[in-house]
Amino acid sequence: MPTKKNRAGTLAAFIALLYYEFLWNIRKKKIIAIFIIIFAIATVQLAFTPIADAVANPPQTLQANSTFVFGGIEALTGIFLFLVGVATTMNTVSGEFESGTIVPLLTKPVSKTLVFAAKIVASVITLLAAYSFLVGYITIGGTLIYGPQDNLNLVPLGILGLTIGSMVWASVALTLGTLSKNSVLAALGSFGFYIGLLIGGTLIAAQLGASTVLFYAPGMGATGTTAACAGLERGGGQTFSTGTDGLASMLMRWVLNPGQVLNFCGFQFRASGNPTTTLLASDTFANVAFRDLWVSLVYVAGLLLLSWFAFRRSQIVES
Amino acid sequence: MPEDRAIETHDLSKKYGDRLAVDRLNLTVASKQVHGFLGPNGAGKSTTIKMMVGLLRPTTGSLSILGRGVSGDNPKVRREIGYMPELPRFPKHLSGEELLDIYGRMYGMSKTERRGRIPELIKMVGLDGRGKDRIGKYSKGMQQRIGIAQALISDPELVILDEPSIGLDPVGMVEVRNMVKDIVKSGTTVFFSSHLLAEVQQVCDHVTVIHLGVMRYSGTLEDISSKVMARRRLVIELEKPVDGVLAALKTMKFATVEANMNTYTLHLNTREDVRAEVSRAVTGAGGVILRMQEEGGGLEDAFLSLVGKEGMA
Ligand SMILES: Nc1ncnc2c1ncn2[C@@H]1O[C@H](COP(=O)(O)OP(=O)(O)OP(=O)(O)O)[C@@H](O)[C@H]1O
Ligand SMILES: [Mg+2]
Repeated sequence: MPTKKNRAGTLAAFIALLYYEFLWNIRKKKIIAIFIIIFAIATVQLAFTPIADAVANPPQTLQANSTFVFGGIEALTGIFLFLVGVATTMNTVSGEFESGTIVPLLTKPVSKTLVFAAKIVASVITLLAAYSFLVGYITIGGTLIYGPQDNLNLVPLGILGLTIGSMVWASVALTLGTLSKNSVLAALGSFGFYIGLLIGGTLIAAQLGASTVLFYAPGMGATGTTAACAGLERGGGQTFSTGTDGLASMLMRWVLNPGQVLNFCGFQFRASGNPTTTLLASDTFANVAFRDLWVSLVYVAGLLLLSWFAFRRSQIVES
Repeated sequence: MPEDRAIETHDLSKKYGDRLAVDRLNLTVASKQVHGFLGPNGAGKSTTIKMMVGLLRPTTGSLSILGRGVSGDNPKVRREIGYMPELPRFPKHLSGEELLDIYGRMYGMSKTERRGRIPELIKMVGLDGRGKDRIGKYSKGMQQRIGIAQALISDPELVILDEPSIGLDPVGMVEVRNMVKDIVKSGTTVFFSSHLLAEVQQVCDHVTVIHLGVMRYSGTLEDISSKVMARRRLVIELEKPVDGVLAALKTMKFATVEANMNTYTLHLNTREDVRAEVSRAVTGAGGVILRMQEEGGGLEDAFLSLVGKEGMA
């Protein structure tokens, strides 16, 4: 039974651990590096159209675009979420082992679970702050450059989606780092995992189409379309990546247009002529986004549980 | 569990793969003792200490600290312990004061407590004026000193130091010794490891000697010479080498003999005074004794005989 004083002590220790973690990341310039990546990406996004317009021959006048922010958030997927996530956690646990600082840390009256929890909370806060900064910057810059924006109320949901989507990769890197006690292995292993999923996902998509297997894989996931599968090759409709990388987009669409149906189409190759397209699954945005959310959360929770378990069991032979 | 036991281990063993680093150790450290943990390199000192502070899990056996069983991750036990790792490594980006402040918070110390304690400790370990410098800029000896300071931050009941004076200059070693003496004055139990007898001798009242993972002696320093057969040698110098003398000395059961020109060294394995008997034997064989001297028998020799390798003891 924890007493009141005990709990206050635990809270103080937890805050001390958070402080320890942030000092580490700020002084070692990790957080600064993440913000610089983000600032660069967002600046490119903002400046691309005005520059393209200016250098076009003849020069174009910049058109107002009320969906710039919404579209900008939806465009942030894949390798970007991966890089930010992995950069945040690749040395979170392994760095302590590599530098030997794990020894004095774990011999303080803080449980391994508390140390681990503080590291996770610090990572989530870092990602949340990074994406808030990114989206804030795009929102302000976008409004100034492209005029008034639609659906700004959905922006917080976008930030949440980017954070959780990125946490999937962050959890992969954290787990590999905890198991290997090596930051470089964690980063390389995560990249291998990412590439493997990308290649696997692309092969599946090329052979089978938007197979339902892809609903449950981290990364880009299955591609859904608002068009009917039968007429797919004629074009039309909008397509969406519905994987963990597209969570921000899915969450915003869920609120914006919950009843809209997405079709997931499969291909059947024939000996000659065009492949036929068949409907594999179809679901509303609400259901697709909800599934995407829990798939993401299950990955995050499962991976963190695994690394927590590994961390708790680890013996500190480093001196 | 009696209250007056600061550390107690029961058949404590640790294996690294196939290597048995600590072998069924039964160690008792009473509270308020200054207990030296002595052994040569690789004896198993750090391994034992790491089990005490929860960094390693015992392979078999158990231990309790301040009456609490140490099994698994036990922060409650660690609250009462200040530990200085062997060759400690701290976050390089923190200053000495920040390190003490953060660790102090982890012990649940209030801001006022920390404000009072930190300058005091910085001064005590001789880092006056360097407390605001980053640890990355500290010399090895200064890192060792901040290591001692962080072990004392919470004014713990039990202080465990793993080779605190390693890497220090001779003056630093004396300072560390004096620090340990000061810590003890405040009623703290101190358990510290060393491979230097001289160091242990100057600060400890109790000592445990470990060799190849096995405890060879545990008790007071005074008792060590009476309870342990120290190495003693009898060195005899003759006028000139005589053939019969070596043969005569070799018949003696209480010693092994080594001859070098006209000098004979007897490695004794008895506590008795055998000089008269030896003298008679040498003279009987026709030798003329110029000098006979007993060597060894001190603490150093007791220690060496405890950790001696086969054939040397
Ligand atoms: N991480 C490890 N993996 C395998 N064997 C180890 C490990 N750490 C120590 N050992 C072995 O365990 C034995 C005891 O080592 P330990 O570090 O406890 O000795 P020590 O008494 O502290 O020595 P020193 O005075 O050199 O610090 C040695 O034989 C050592 O080789
Ligand atoms: Mg050691």
